[in-house]
Amino acid sequence: MTNILLVDDEPALIAVLKPVLGAEGYSVATASGGAAALRMAEDIKPEVVLLDLGLPDIDGKDVIRALRATSAVPIIVISARHQEGEKIAALDNGADDYVNKPFEIGELMARIRAAIRRSSSLENAPSTYRSGPLEIDFQTRRVSLAGDTVKLSPKEYDLLRTLALSAGQVVTHKRLLAVGWGSDGADSQYLRVYIGLLRQKIEEDPSDPRLLVTEPGVGYRLASAN
Amino acid sequence: MTSRRPNAIARLLLARLHLDRDDMLRTAVVLALSAVIAFAVYPLGEVASALVFVLGITVAGALSGLASALIAALAAFLIYNFYLTEPALTFRIATGGDLAPLIVFNLCALVSGVLAGQLKDHAQAARSSNLQLHSLLALSRQLQSAIRLPDVVATVERAVHDILGAGAALFRFEGGELRSLAPALAEADWRAFAERIAAKAVPQGEGTLLGRLLKPANAPDAVLVIEPLRPGKITPAFIDAVANLVTLALERAALSEQITERQAVARAEQLKTALLASVSHDFRTPLTAISASASSLIAYGERFDPETSAGLLRGIVEECERLNRYTANLLEMSRLEAGGIAQPLQILGAAEMAAAALHRVRPRAGGRQMSLQAPAPDLLVAANAALFELVLINILDNAILYSDDDARVEIAITAEQGACRIDIADSGQGIPEAALRRVFERFYRAGRSEAAGRGNGLGLAIAKGFVEALGGTIEATLPGLDGRGTRITIRLPLAEAAQA
Repeated sequence: MTNILLVDDEPALIAVLKPVLGAEGYSVATASGGAAALRMAEDIKPEVVLLDLGLPDIDGKDVIRALRATSAVPIIVISARHQEGEKIAALDNGADDYVNKPFEIGELMARIRAAIRRSSSLENAPSTYRSGPLEIDFQTRRVSLAGDTVKLSPKEYDLLRTLALSAGQVVTHKRLLAVGWGSDGADSQYLRVYIGLLRQKIEEDPSDPRLLVTEPGVGYRLASAN
Repeated sequence: MTSRRPNAIARLLLARLHLDRDDMLRTAVVLALSAVIAFAVYPLGEVASALVFVLGITVAGALSGLASALIAALAAFLIYNFYLTEPALTFRIATGGDLAPLIVFNLCALVSGVLAGQLKDHAQAARSSNLQLHSLLALSRQLQSAIRLPDVVATVERAVHDILGAGAALFRFEGGELRSLAPALAEADWRAFAERIAAKAVPQGEGTLLGRLLKPANAPDAVLVIEPLRPGKITPAFIDAVANLVTLALERAALSEQITERQAVARAEQLKTALLASVSHDFRTPLTAISASASSLIAYGERFDPETSAGLLRGIVEECERLNRYTANLLEMSRLEAGGIAQPLQILGAAEMAAAALHRVRPRAGGRQMSLQAPAPDLLVAANAALFELVLINILDNAILYSDDDARVEIAITAEQGACRIDIADSGQGIPEAALRRVFERFYRAGRSEAAGRGNGLGLAIAKGFVEALGGTIEATLPGLDGRGTRITIRLPLAEAAQA
């Protein structure tokens, strides 16, 4: 059974998430503050950490940094929609993903599944990605849409590969810029152009993307593999 | 120029020819004394007597001015000629020598009289300018403490009256029209005069009225009208100085008005920001819990055991209740902020209200012991029922929020000197001593404990607004119960209709 550490100072939220995550087959431990969370992370070695950014005792970013110092456990941040700065800082400090409050439980579950899949793929990297009509073979660098080969420039491929390796999870502008342009300080306008090109090639309707979605102000997310 | 000089000298001399009774009396006394001494020294020779008269004339001139000196000189000459020159007891002007005393006496009188007069004038001028200086200082001091425009107007009227013994009024352009700033004093002819001053139709005065157009840099033009009791006593320069002071005061009043306005805008802006922050923070958590619970029930409903489902549903109801409370708090806050006294007022039983509030919070009180002590019959206060209940619930919620599950919370109601005293005490964590005063500020949350995140920082601010609107007081003290926790004490005036 997968261990989840739920860190939140809101009893109401814990009261909801604990039984629901339990019903989904996860074993849930809870902590209501950052210090308690760090202690419990040592003890129970969770496979996923759900972390509310607004903790009473320690800044969420410091909790993430402290967790990262000792483990690669996937961290999903729970935060308010308007706190882009906080979210980006959390992701920069090593969080893997985030979910906006208020969320539907399905959204949270998808994030947890994507995080678990990605952390296990770190040990044995997958050779393919498949979501709907889109297929990527990482060995041959072949991308196909409903069986037809899609021609991508090397930069487009690098970006898509990065997104696919974190499928279902957000990838920040910064990381994509580093992959495509070798510098995370590059102009994000380039990135927007390349994402547009990718959408032209892989989306059914590029103006209403389903596979490669925008996370406003933070980055992009490629649909989970199925 | 030269042709004017004799004229000028004549005017100077004429101006000195002022004489009143005191002057005459003094002159007579001096003359009499001189005569006595002149007779006494007569054996020493005519010249000695003449010198005594010269001295007397000089003294008379110095004491009483030119006119007295000239009178004294003439009188002295007559006495001297009649009694003291040979042949005695006759008037005789036979030789040039006989005329010499007359000329000398009069020259002496002229010089001493003019000099004395000038001295006096200088002294007078010094006194008067000193007085004006003092008046200006007093006016400036009084204007200094007038910060708002009505204060400036009132101060100008009062100070000008007290200091100058004059009537004064200020007019100001408002919408292109000159209006009196103190309508009570808006006499029609003053106003008409002010308009002529503003139009520069009359110089600076007309009849008994004096006026100045004031041009404050940051406020509409104004007109100062002064009606002195003795117009001659007030110089134009002095009125100019007064006008300058009033202009400065008007400028300061306009500045302070602008600052006050800006501060009000800033405060409103701050409140808006705080309210928005509160909405985004305090509403999101219950919404998240509700959303997660409801979507879980939809997605996994059949997989949950009945107890889990019921728990989630109960959670939804509780969080809805919490949202409702936040909404009510925000609404009441903005209403109290707008200065409303939260009508309608009803006669309410304090214990009854407390019991109702206890009933409402008990579901979220866990294992805490909640109790109520009240006298019989119930104490009555006039208040808005919904707001009163909200305030009591806010305070009780705080007690619950900041205490452990086994804590005690007690409401005690007592009569105290015409007031209804309500103590709500708990044996919880208490408030840091330094925060005792600040807990009544909007959006202030004591400490940064786990519980702090769950309040919205409005509860006690609303309680304060409510209590003060009703003429009561509220305070937070330490300790609450069992030597720990917090005690909130509310004092509300007892309702007049005690039998209602």
